[in-house]
Amino acid sequence: MNLYGGKILWIDLTSGAVTTQSTSDYAGMYVGGRGVNARIMYDNVGPATDPLGPENVLAFGAGPLSGTLFPGCSRTDIMSKSPVTNLLGNANVGGDWAAELKYAGYDHVVLRGRAESPVYISIRNEKVQLRDATELWGRTTYETHHAIHEELDDPEIKVLCIGPAGENQVTFATVHSNVGNAAARTGMGAVMGSKNVKALAVRGTKGVTVADPKAFFAACMEAHETVRGADYFEEISTIGAVRGEYAYVLSGIEAGGDAHETAPDFDPEGKTDYHAFWKKYGHKRTGCMGCPVHCMENYTMPEVGSTVLSCELYTQLTWEVRNDDMPLWFELILRCQEAGIDNTSMALTIQWLMELYEKGILDAGLTDGVPMEWGSREAISGVLESTVARTGFGHVVAQGMKATAEHLDARIPAERRGGVSTYDYAMQVNNNPMYGINPRMNSMALSYAIGRRSDCIQDLDMHQFDTVSAPVYPGWSEQERLEAIAHESELATALTGKADAGDPESYEGKAQIVHDMGVTTGIPDMAGSCKWHTKWLYLDLTPEHYAKALTAGLGRTVTAEDLLRASLRLRNVERALECTMGRRRENDTIPKKEFNKPVSRGHWKGRLGVDPEKFEGMKDEYYTLRGWDLETGVPTAATLHEYGLDDIAHDLAERGILPHWTGESVDAPVTGHDR
Amino acid sequence: MYAVITVDTDKCTGCRTCEIACSLHNYGECNPSRSRISVIRTQDGGLITTIPVVCQQCVKPLCLNMCPSEALSRDPKTNAVVVNEDRCLGCRTCVYVCPFGAPSVDPRLGVAQKCDLCGGEPTCVAVCPKKALSFVEAEDESLRRKRAGVRKYLDQLETAAG
Repeated sequence: MNLYGGKILWIDLTSGAVTTQSTSDYAGMYVGGRGVNARIMYDNVGPATDPLGPENVLAFGAGPLSGTLFPGCSRTDIMSKSPVTNLLGNANVGGDWAAELKYAGYDHVVLRGRAESPVYISIRNEKVQLRDATELWGRTTYETHHAIHEELDDPEIKVLCIGPAGENQVTFATVHSNVGNAAARTGMGAVMGSKNVKALAVRGTKGVTVADPKAFFAACMEAHETVRGADYFEEISTIGAVRGEYAYVLSGIEAGGDAHETAPDFDPEGKTDYHAFWKKYGHKRTGCMGCPVHCMENYTMPEVGSTVLSCELYTQLTWEVRNDDMPLWFELILRCQEAGIDNTSMALTIQWLMELYEKGILDAGLTDGVPMEWGSREAISGVLESTVARTGFGHVVAQGMKATAEHLDARIPAERRGGVSTYDYAMQVNNNPMYGINPRMNSMALSYAIGRRSDCIQDLDMHQFDTVSAPVYPGWSEQERLEAIAHESELATALTGKADAGDPESYEGKAQIVHDMGVTTGIPDMAGSCKWHTKWLYLDLTPEHYAKALTAGLGRTVTAEDLLRASLRLRNVERALECTMGRRRENDTIPKKEFNKPVSRGHWKGRLGVDPEKFEGMKDEYYTLRGWDLETGVPTAATLHEYGLDDIAHDLAERGILPHWTGESVDAPVTGHDR
Repeated sequence: MYAVITVDTDKCTGCRTCEIACSLHNYGECNPSRSRISVIRTQDGGLITTIPVVCQQCVKPLCLNMCPSEALSRDPKTNAVVVNEDRCLGCRTCVYVCPFGAPSVDPRLGVAQKCDLCGGEPTCVAVCPKKALSFVEAEDESLRRKRAGVRKYLDQLETAAG
């Protein structure tokens, strides 16, 4: 099976049974990676599934381009029912695990049940073993990789594992690759911990075959050249996302940092100079398999340790919690990596507690005697450590924001909370702590609200993002700022046909941009490569690049149109599944307090802030583009039929949630899957 | 005059594009375990080191000299040490004697495989996104190293000066 490992590996941890299924059962319709994972989820989990119960299913997926010469062919898509949102969970990680899985002859590994005692899964080509992990339990992520290499006497083994946070089923625990990056969001590490699985160790010596090696080589190199020739390549491949993150902080658009307008002012130009930190402690640039971008910085700090980081890691445990102590920040990041806990969720939870403390709602008595003061080492470190270990107040925090709010509400009189729940102060969507990106930009608010897995990251409107952050981009002249804004506005207008689409204060065309970005980024997620290489991060790969490589590799014509259609199909599977789990239009929103609230500092002071009615208008537009029912947000029978998902329409009808269903049968069900 | 593949370990990010491209070019499949260049990754906790290892086409090649079946010879055009697959026994002597472990015996073909410089245009060098691999005249290599060393020294001076 060209481009595919060929098999899906099913492991029942309760019985120890290992079975395989042909990937071709799914690949025709769902391509791979996130696409196939979503369908596996639809068929195996539902509203009654307890995310941390043995009945939950945890799927790891590579895609057809994973392990090939296509740029950024490194990604593993991980999906399960989420213990954070109680809806569909999903996270994606780089490294070289997905490639190795392909080389071993598999595209997906699906875990169900629960092992009686801690195990790790060792896969070497056809040989699959459940091995005792009692000795590994309690070890950090980095120690676990090393210990498995030692035990199996093979340093080439690629490992995905959890740390102590995952073992302790901290709801926002992560799954870590050996590079040090994480499948961080929606608690996939907690699900793995609940199954008593410490790690998946893979080694493969088979190749990924391609139909036309010469044409495939050429298509992949064309994609490489496109990425390397993109405007943003020079910056992202030399200083990573450092400067961009800096700009977001300076422009006051960070979600919590700005949301908590009463927090002390914070001068990121002062002590939190990421560039100086890189110069002092940078060891090397690194990245994932097959990636020309190498977006990660590998740091080493004497007496503390070493780790890699990139992107949002820079702003969460600094700006969001008002910590300007860079060595402390690095210690905390390293600790998150070792413990296997989501740095974003942790930082945003701590930030929430700090705001509650500052407002006089929360006193130190409720947080193990530690005052939750802005920037306090004791507070940040204390909550992190107790959460990982689930001791004291950390046992509460580990259950997520909603459970923490219930705990606090029961102990804090209503009048001290301003008559509302402490949950109303939290920056969350469906209990998922929000990224450091401001929901007070119109299209960002929409991205958060409609985002699969309840976050914004798949559907970001980079045009608006940049129009907002451009005024403070470090090192830019006034001319460069104006040019950047004009450029983004042009692109936004070209895409939507609306003159105002690039204007951050307009609502015009925003739904179209968010819709379009979500469809485009679905393609790399299915292909098993990194979405950073698309326009998502201005690295210019288009659906055509993927189509060309897939055509040469598979030996049959795949068009950009086919891939866009598959991406839309995938999104409808995910959405339908989330709807069976209770998601409706009213869940597609941002925290109430974020409406009608202009930015309080920085360039945009006094501006932005989303109008709730116009926000609902954007949702109408978005649902219309997607073919989802305006009233409920559930995909309609016509939409599901359009994407060959009549069986799902049937299922929704049986559950009584198919929009406007009158009890008559929908179109004939699809039997089996399109091969 | 002949050219060799040289490695700048500071530049290598460990992406292994070279490995995938090598196997695709030579065998028509993406398979690092068949690649003739390997990026060796060592990790001390989160501290990462990645060093590509590839045949250096030695001046006095042990593989060529020790081969019991005289299956290795020097390509007069490229100066690469190349395998005559018809003569090769698959005995692994070349694998054992090479200071880098550069040759391998391919399990599917049953004969030794090693870097042949792709006939004078090495694929790995062409695809390396960081230019960590170069194909340079052997006599220039030492001077290039000296220059790189000086650049590093100047950078350190600059950093020290703040």
